[in-house]
Amino acid sequence: MLPFFADLVTATDEDRRAFENHPVLLDAVAQGMAVERYRALLLELYHVVWHFNPVCAAAASRMGDPGHEALQPVRHFMYQHMHEETAHETWVLNDLQAIGVDPAASQGHTPGVYTLALNGYNYWAADRRHPCTALGMLYALEVIASVYGGTFSSAIRERLLLDGSAGVSFIESHATMDTQHMADLRVVLNHVKDADSRAAVIESTRVNFHHFTRIIEAI
Amino acid sequence: MPGLLGRPYKTIRLEWSSDLQLLRVRTCVRPIQCYTLAAMGELQQMLNDISANPGLVRHFVMTSDVPRVFNFGGDLALFVLLVRARDVESLKLYGQRCVDLVWWMENAANLGIHTTVLSQGDTLGGGLESVLPFHKVIFERSASGGFPEVLFNLFPGMGAWDFTIRKGGYAVANEMILSGRLFSAEELHYRRLVDVVAEDGEGEEAVERVVHEVDPRHRGTLAALRAQRLAAPIRYETLTAIVEQWAESALGLTDRDLRLMERLARAQARKAGGAAEGAVEELKRMELENAWGERRTGADRRAQAVGDRRTHG
Repeated sequence: MLPFFADLVTATDEDRRAFENHPVLLDAVAQGMAVERYRALLLELYHVVWHFNPVCAAAASRMGDPGHEALQPVRHFMYQHMHEETAHETWVLNDLQAIGVDPAASQGHTPGVYTLALNGYNYWAADRRHPCTALGMLYALEVIASVYGGTFSSAIRERLLLDGSAGVSFIESHATMDTQHMADLRVVLNHVKDADSRAAVIESTRVNFHHFTRIIEAI
Repeated sequence: MPGLLGRPYKTIRLEWSSDLQLLRVRTCVRPIQCYTLAAMGELQQMLNDISANPGLVRHFVMTSDVPRVFNFGGDLALFVLLVRARDVESLKLYGQRCVDLVWWMENAANLGIHTTVLSQGDTLGGGLESVLPFHKVIFERSASGGFPEVLFNLFPGMGAWDFTIRKGGYAVANEMILSGRLFSAEELHYRRLVDVVAEDGEGEEAVERVVHEVDPRHRGTLAALRAQRLAAPIRYETLTAIVEQWAESALGLTDRDLRLMERLARAQARKAGGAAEGAVEELKRMELENAWGERRTGADRRAQAVGDRRTHG
């Protein structure tokens, strides 16, 4: 029997590729983005990153519930991951400031409908559907960051003539940091044994890839 | 036949010519034509359907529906994902799926099927590996191919060694795999990896000629090809063992190596977006950078070894 991580990769491969092959992302990877569109993207990203830890906290609070006792190791992993991701929304604010958007404006930005839908699903699913949906959110975001973040940030830097990491620090740093995160996540996911938990991870991964693709599409 | 042709494939298109019992497969993984999990799944399903209907197919022809690209080989983003996840099992699984496809091609003569492939564009890495088991390999003149994997510290692990050695010999295999260089259709023909070089736009005619030449001598040709495989056998166990080595090697890729793969992926994206330059041009730049880096390193070593007055006063 295959490890669950292999199943997850296979089951969600076309959702990942739908994100990867979206014309907007392909064009961005090939040629970068105009500064207005990149600002729009980071403004949406700020509101995704801000809610990342609270969603994980909601999920962790349900792991270890009666019926989910086997998820206790996953809950401990979530605590560690939340600690590592603390204040990362500030990096997005810094990048926005580097390209001309002050923090007050960033924090006051009303997210788009797809960002609202993404956050809405992640909170609802972690709290009401199955806590392991948070692992699907984690997996999708780690893949996006570690697999596509490097090429995307290089393209943006070249197009906008940015100096060093200013303006791309969040995406660029997560492209390299998430190397170890991805390996750790694989180990944790392979601990998920029961069919319901696995189905929840796969469903959430697909939903997160889908909504992220819509967010990129709308930029 | 309805079963074989009736499946709702997304990455391949099938055409049937009943007079020749010829199945034509046109691959169309868009926007970047490579061996994705889904594409390999559909190809395997199709091959399983052919195997389940012995005697139905006499000729098998494969081409690409993506202009200027036959196949870029592996799914680079998937590789980066699995390497970063340290997932050697999934890497082996991916490699095994590739090997199962080339193994089917290798044994097609045992199923009574003659195989022909036409490349009209870039045929890189696993893309080139996938054409080598075909009985007849046709490239149009502007098509090119190579095994660039060594440029990012990997190697082609799904049949390149076995099939290149058999077709071109050890020297050609060493030259191609260890250099990472790209070769024109003419150069590949000279090295015996490509059987026919057709002028641009005349590849389809070349395929027709091959099929019509083989058809009246179908039984004899396949008998000879089966004997050829006995004379120069390729073992499934060797292919599988090399996949295992390839997967272990992939885990050793550094951030620099992965960044080179990302450069290649960006180049593929640019070509998919309509740019004139793509992966082939990016690989040529990488080759030059490699060569320039070696020259500078060599000069430094020589200067240190002989106490060069220009650097040591």
